[in-house]
Parts: sequence; C-alpha cells; structure tokens
Amino acid sequence: MNDHGNELKDIGVFVVEDEALVALNLEDMLADLGCRVIGPAMRLARAIEFLETAPTPDIAILDVNLAGEPVFELAERVASRGIPIVFATGYGRAGLPESWHCWPILQKPYTMEDVAGSLKAALGAVART
Amino acid sequence: MVLRRQAGAFVEGRVAVWGAMRVPDFQLLFEALPGAHMVLDRDFNFLAVNRAYEHATMRCREELIGKNLFDLFPNPGEGGRRLRASFERVLSTGKTDTLAYIPYDIPRPASQGGGTETRYWTASQTPILGEDGNVAFIVQNTVDVTDLVRLREAASLPFSARSGASELIEHAREVEEAHRELLAESDDFRRLFQQAPGFIAVLSGPDHVFTFANDAYLRLIGGRDVVGLPVREALPEIEGQGFLEMLDDVLARGEERGATGASVLLQSGHDQPLEQFYLDFSYAPIRDGEGKVTGVFVQGMDRTEATLAERRQALLMAELNHRVKNTLATVQSIASQTLRAARDMPSARRDFEGRILALSRAHNLLSERQWSDAGIRTLVDNELAAHGPERYGLEGENVPLNPKAAIAIAMVLHELATNAAKYGALSSDSGKVSVNWTVDGDELRISWHETGGPLVEAPSHKGFGSRMIARVVDGELGGAFDCDYAAEGFRCSLTIPLESYDTIEQDNERPRQ
Repeated sequence: MNDHGNELKDIGVFVVEDEALVALNLEDMLADLGCRVIGPAMRLARAIEFLETAPTPDIAILDVNLAGEPVFELAERVASRGIPIVFATGYGRAGLPESWHCWPILQKPYTMEDVAGSLKAALGAVART
Repeated sequence: MVLRRQAGAFVEGRVAVWGAMRVPDFQLLFEALPGAHMVLDRDFNFLAVNRAYEHATMRCREELIGKNLFDLFPNPGEGGRRLRASFERVLSTGKTDTLAYIPYDIPRPASQGGGTETRYWTASQTPILGEDGNVAFIVQNTVDVTDLVRLREAASLPFSARSGASELIEHAREVEEAHRELLAESDDFRRLFQQAPGFIAVLSGPDHVFTFANDAYLRLIGGRDVVGLPVREALPEIEGQGFLEMLDDVLARGEERGATGASVLLQSGHDQPLEQFYLDFSYAPIRDGEGKVTGVFVQGMDRTEATLAERRQALLMAELNHRVKNTLATVQSIASQTLRAARDMPSARRDFEGRILALSRAHNLLSERQWSDAGIRTLVDNELAAHGPERYGLEGENVPLNPKAAIAIAMVLHELATNAAKYGALSSDSGKVSVNWTVDGDELRISWHETGGPLVEAPSHKGFGSRMIARVVDGELGGAFDCDYAAEGFRCSLTIPLESYDTIEQDNERPRQ
C-alpha cells in the first residue's frame, strides 16, 4: 500500500482529532503510509497531557477545533519543541490565524494522498528553516 | 432697571439728580411721549398708560389700570389672536415682537355713541426683564394707522392712485406676513429634521460646536446635552477613533467625507461603558453666502442591528460549511471502515446504509430541537424501534445530550443494535434487549443487557463496531466502555462524564435560529 517510499516510514505522528470516526480513518491512513500513530487525543486537556508524557513525535496533525476549543494553545507547545505541524480543519485556511499559515492545512474531508502530501510539506518546511 | 409695581408711576419724585447732571422725570417723559404707550404685567393687566394711549383707546387711565387688556378690549377674531400670540412670543423669547399691521376693534364708550369702532394698528411689544432675568413687564407702543388704511381703501377705488403712506402700510403688512410664514416654515423644517429617522447634527466652526442635534442623534449618544459644546468636549470618547480628523478635513478641504458600516465606540454618558455601534454616515461641508466652509452637516443611519445580523449570518455560513465538511469526513470514514471490514459487497452496502441512516436519524432528532439537544430515551428508541416494542425495554429519564454526544452515542447504539440483530438477542425469535440508564453524580451510565438469545461466544477479532465504540466512548466522550460476552447474553456499560454530554457547555457551538 505504501507508494510513498521511505520518507514517511516509521515516523511518529501525533494525532489530535475530536471526532472518533474521523480519527479512526486517519489512523488507518497513517498505518497504510507506514507511520506510527501516537494518540489519538480527542480533547485539548488530554492532548496537552499526552504531549508531556508520550514519546516525542516527529510531526503532529492537529484538528483546529476540539469540541469547541481552539487547538492553538497546544499548537504553541508543539511548535516550541520544534515539531512540525499539519492543521486539519473543515474551515479551510480562513479558519486559521495568519501566524499559523506557515504550516500546511489538511482540508476535511481528505484522502490518504492529501495526508501524505501535507506531512511531507510540513517536514520539508522544517528542513528548510 | 427695576420697575416698582405702582399704578401710574415708575419713580418717586419729580426730578432725579445723577451727579451734576439733571435728568428728566421719567414719569413725565412717559406721559409726554406722542406715541401711545402702555405697560402690562405678565397676565396682561394694565400697570401704566400715557396720555396718547388714553386718547387712542378713548379710555381714561382710571378705567384701564389694574384691568385686563383682553377683558377691556375683547377680540375673538384674528386681531385678538395675533396680539395674544405676539405677547406670548415676548414672554417666551424675551425679545421685542412687532406687528406691522393688526386690525383691532375698540368698543366706543357710551358717551361717544357706543358700539365698536374698527381700527388698524401697528404695535410693538418690548419686554422689561426682572432681576431674575425673566420678563417682568411688557411695554407696548401702538400707532393707530386707521387713517392710512382708509386712504388705501380709497386708493383701491378705480382711477385713483395709492398714496405713499398706504403703499408703505400695505408693504409692511406683506413683509410681516411673509416673515411669519417663514418662521412657521422654518419651524416645520426644524420639526422635520428633529424627527427624521436618520441621525442629523450640525457642527459649526473649527472646534465643531454642535448647533443642532436631532432626536435620532441624541438617542445614539444616550441623550447627552451636546448643543453649544465642541464635539471633543461633548463626546470625549470619540477621541482617537478618526472622526475628529475627518471633520477637520471636511472643514479644510470642503469635500464630503463618510463611511458605511463604520465601527464606533460610544458612551451613553459620562462614566458609562463604551458600546459598539456600526454607522453609515456622511460629513458634508456647510458653506456661507461667499462659499466659505463654516461648518459640517452630519447625517447618517445607525446600522448596528443590521451589521450584527450580517455578521451572525456570515458566522453561521462559516459554521455550516465547517459542519458539512466534518460530516462529510465522518461519512468518508464510515465508508472506508465499512469497506475495509466487509466480507462481501452486499453486506458492505447494507452496513454502510445502516450507519449512514443512523447518523441521519440523529441529525433529524437534533434538527427537531434546533440543534440544542436530543434525549437519550429518544435516541435508544430510534435505534431499536424497527425490532418491535416487545423486543426491548427502556428505563431511565430522557436525559438531554448535547449534539456532539448525541451523534456519538447514536452511532454506538446503532452498532450495538446491529450486533444484537446479527449475533445476539435480536437474532433469535424471543430474545430481548433491556437498556437502562441513570445519572450518577457527574456521570451518565448506560447499561445494555441482552437475554434470551443464542449462546454467546466472544468474537475472535475486533471488528469496526467494537473499535469504533471504544474510540467514541473512551476518546471522544472521555468515558469508559466495558463489555461482557456472558454466555447467557451480551452485556455492556457506557460511562460518560457530564462535561461530555452537558447541554450548556456547547451552547455556543450550535447555530441559532
């Protein structure tokens, strides 16, 4: 299933997504891409706790809106550790404050190719800086 | 000058001496004036009259002093009405009021034959202010112009020229009428502006002093008294919001400025909190006769309500888009999961439809309640109703669940019901499902208990259903899912914390009507 070479193989992806069904699908896609799923965390408080205790991920996919709470507090913590971010949202780029526009956006609903592309873009963005 | 209220006399003594200069006795002076003069109090009672007045009215002062003007000279017609109006203007404005031409009949004393005599007058009413600044007395000077009017009437006969005097009177009469009409018209316009639905204010001079503000404008600024004050002083809160600069610019360049939907923070008064308004407005230059800009005409509409409604609508559209995208992502996941787990295409299609319909039913329930909440009893009933009422029993209050929890729990119940129908109690002819729930402190506990079905065996591998249930209950709802594949019947329990299903916390998430 993995046509994406070794680029995404075994990378640890921290998944934060508040919809169980969407999270399940993303887990399956990531597994198919050869990634290791860390999480998923579905609530902000739990996600912050997870970040402090779980093994440090290589990259994070963050749903922008977690049961009505914006994810940016968590995003700050993730970014401050130098971990690249992919934002997943139903709002599109307009739903994201400008200061976060440097990271790729995964517009829901998304395909496995979208996920792979945004992961690579985020990893590349870090490599360039 | 304070007049002592003493009939017929203003000062005591015949001669007053100011320094070295002799001044005439004002009483004598008043008496000697060739024009008819009289003094009234505020109720129009005679306080003093001079000889000329006695002569003009054919009355001696004893008949007049202390009496009311309108009792002595009643006039229900136009003349009386206009004279009274003139007095009222003097009382209310404190300014002299002149009637260039007024017909006013005078009752002729019996000694002179009785009846009434038609007379025409020019009359000016001058206020004398008391110490408190209010009008204390009114001095009237009247000129009997009856003869001139008669001349005019004579002049209107064919082939005769008008005399200069009658032309003058005629002209004076016309001017006065035109003036009154102008005043009345100006009053009408003022009222029109005052009550206009849009807000209007007139600012004058480089400091933008309010000279007029209509009702709508005053409503906008909380009824503050602004007329006579510079804008900066009248509305201190607008400093730094860009409006003063715009006003300066209109004065300097003489060009109209304005904006639509401009945001402004206003107070309803000193020390009151700032409130957000959205205004459509224009500042237009006011020019004098020579074209010089002397002020600014401010007009506009308060668009706060409409602007907020537009913003709410835009928010709703964004929210709707977000929800649709999320729902599509959910449907995508259901499709993908169902296809991965399916043994064959027909069963995949059946399972997929079942899950989509469960999602749809949950949406219907929420829709009926304007996406405020859905009751747990209604959700359970919805999932089991197809199997017939004799096959299941429910027990518990119809606890309201917020939309997110309602959809999540509906999907879980659908998997449990599908499982019961495929392998559990509902797969036999006589098995039953009982579902009961209680709220225990901060937790909702739902128990699902199957009886009377085939002998139960634990499944060899975890399918989509159990994986999904675990994710929903543990992850999304932050609760716990326990199940027991007891041989006599499957049972499970869902424990959901209040914070996940509470209907208050997510109030801000649902679209409003």
